[in-house]
Amino acid sequence: MRITCPYCGERGNDEFSYLGDASVVRPDPASPNASEAFYDFAYERRNVAGPMQELWYHAAGCHAWLVVTRDTRTHEIFEVKSAQDVALERQKSAGAAQ
Amino acid sequence: MSDIANGLVAEKDLAISEQADLAVTHVTARRGAKAALDDASRTAFGTTLPSGPRVVNAGGLMIVWAGPDQWLFIEQAKGGVDSSNALGKTFQGLASVVDVSDSRTIFRVATSRAPEKLVRRMGIDFDEGAFNPGDVAITHVSHLGAMVWRLPDGSGYDFACARTYSRDFLDWLRKA
Repeated sequence: MRITCPYCGERGNDEFSYLGDASVVRPDPASPNASEAFYDFAYERRNVAGPMQELWYHAAGCHAWLVVTRDTRTHEIFEVKSAQDVALERQKSAGAAQ
Repeated sequence: MSDIANGLVAEKDLAISEQADLAVTHVTARRGAKAALDDASRTAFGTTLPSGPRVVNAGGLMIVWAGPDQWLFIEQAKGGVDSSNALGKTFQGLASVVDVSDSRTIFRVATSRAPEKLVRRMGIDFDEGAFNPGDVAITHVSHLGAMVWRLPDGSGYDFACARTYSRDFLDWLRKA
């Protein structure tokens, strides 16, 4: 499997480390159901068979965190974005929703 | 590394030399300061900072992309001049500036075209047209982290690694 880093270009997956599901978001500790939300955030994971957003770290390259959309059945990669950009987009959309 | 520090290691087809007496400074842009950093660099060195994996030669000062919003500034050490300190003043408030001269070793392979064996031993595409003069790659070789860039004038390749691993890296380079 090869991953196209948005900074470095296409590289072998030996240069990357895998963290896991990129869709989970840290809950607000001030929310009324914070305890349950943190349990889900820390432990509950979906076992996706299909396209999934994952966090990968370009450990042997530019040291950037990436959000990779990958089909877990075929390893086909649909999109790779900088995790920083994804986080900023989420902040922006969260701000717009408030 | 003293035995190879100033010597040219002549291999069969390659001239490998350690670039001695370099001042190497790592610069990381503060959040949101890239545009201001570019302005400061243009004023001080006549060029903006590479925003992707490229190296520019600003009158003997090599500015090498070292990751998103990070660069290595490399120049020949001048007696009595603290290059990192000077860069810290140039980029005051815009970047974190660290002198890494003692933690990096840079080897130069003087060849206009990467030899086949070297190409085959690295995980990146070294082919002509894919890795052009001025291109930079951060990668690993035999589990050793390394940066490689092709000199902007096309006269050779520089390899930078952590000084701790420089002996092993040189072994790898010689075998390549």
